[in-house]
Amino acid sequence: MFDNNVFIENSCVNVEQDGNVIGYELQTNITYYRGIPMSMIEYIRVFADGKAVPQENIRISVDREDWFTMREAETVTTYKWEYGEPLYIRVLEAGGLSKGTHRVKLVVATRTAYIPVPLEGVREREVTIA
Amino acid sequence: MAKIKTCVSLYSLQDAYLNKRMQLDDIMRFVKANGAEGVEILPDQMLKGAPDISEETVAHWKQLLDETGLKPVIADVFLNTNLYKNRTLTHRECIALLVKEIQQVARLGIHLIRLVSMVPYWVIEPLLPYCAQYDVTIALEIHAAMAFDIPETKAFIEEMKRVNSPYVGIVIDTGIFCRRFPRVVRAYETLFGTSPQVFDYIDTLFARGTDLHHVLVENGHVYPPELEAAIQSEHDRMFVPLCDGYENYRFEVLDEYMPYIKHFHFKLFEMTPEGQEYSMDYKGLLEYLHDRGYDGYVSTEYEGNRFTLPGHKVAEEEQVAAQLAYIRKCLDEIQG
Repeated sequence: MFDNNVFIENSCVNVEQDGNVIGYELQTNITYYRGIPMSMIEYIRVFADGKAVPQENIRISVDREDWFTMREAETVTTYKWEYGEPLYIRVLEAGGLSKGTHRVKLVVATRTAYIPVPLEGVREREVTIA
Repeated sequence: MAKIKTCVSLYSLQDAYLNKRMQLDDIMRFVKANGAEGVEILPDQMLKGAPDISEETVAHWKQLLDETGLKPVIADVFLNTNLYKNRTLTHRECIALLVKEIQQVARLGIHLIRLVSMVPYWVIEPLLPYCAQYDVTIALEIHAAMAFDIPETKAFIEEMKRVNSPYVGIVIDTGIFCRRFPRVVRAYETLFGTSPQVFDYIDTLFARGTDLHHVLVENGHVYPPELEAAIQSEHDRMFVPLCDGYENYRFEVLDEYMPYIKHFHFKLFEMTPEGQEYSMDYKGLLEYLHDRGYDGYVSTEYEGNRFTLPGHKVAEEEQVAAQLAYIRKCLDEIQG
């Protein structure tokens, strides 16, 4: 459910810091119909060209200022992922995605107030890195 | 004589909001332009920072109410019992969250809260002093698959009757009054791999005046042979439990609850070209409610948006407008 909300089109880009490409970033809308604290994100999974990104390489943020690992996010109740606003997901991987075309798949799952299983959304996109 | 009034839940326009086709201002003006008298909001959906909204957000909301003249009827509130991954919130934490919600809706000029289904009964008594202080009523949603036969709902209703306070009641979602399984759900789900045989079987249940939820309950959650025969794949087997959210109660199930009903969600899957909703008999229900003196709001809640086929427009505005027009016509005929 909510697959259509996952992985905002044209949002996947390499991230440069101090002249080095430290990884890549993508954005997603929420797999729910309301905003929730970040602690209610059950999991985020990224697959690049069929290969799963290790969880420890993923960072998430709602404002691109403060970033959390997935383990840290489990206790983050003071930052809210708003409905209609993106979650920024960074994959830390020196060099980022190489120039050319890649298949990037994003899986987002949130816990909801009354449904016993997390609401998961999945979308794979073809991404071109210039 | 008291009259039933129209309302729109902003849930109905969630796709337009998410994809930035409409801002809250546009949505409020749209609701007013289509003749609704009231508005229902999910603070967590369209008010940033809820339940800790800023003074600017409150002022903006009030300015929109002033401009449109819409009555702020009800706020849909959730209880994040699973805020943390490793534990469930304690009772005191749950109460504290709900007190914040009561305080928030009071700031928004709203006096009624829809508590999401499955909110536990034990929140009622500790919240009552806050309800009285802020003049806010709490009402549990009675939603298909989580309706009158579910232990959590039964416990809430029992406690509601025990405390017998004007500040506690229920909200009815008309998805419990489906006379046919929504064909938009069938079309969407078959596209994504569910076998038509599953829906053919469910259709036979509705034709017999029942539904999958009640058949499964009567069978102790063992699938009847006809359902087993309809299931063609593992995907079908995974999907079947999601089909119990469409129930086929008689209107008379509400008889004993009428004094406690504070609000209705007039659930909407598909307004047909003929004018009615595909699954639900709104006119019959409005006649039933009119005969029993109901004078609250009936709120448009469009849920066909999530079953829009790929490549098709999400027709939220059209569907909301069509339902409002149809309800208005019914009410004119019934109420004069």
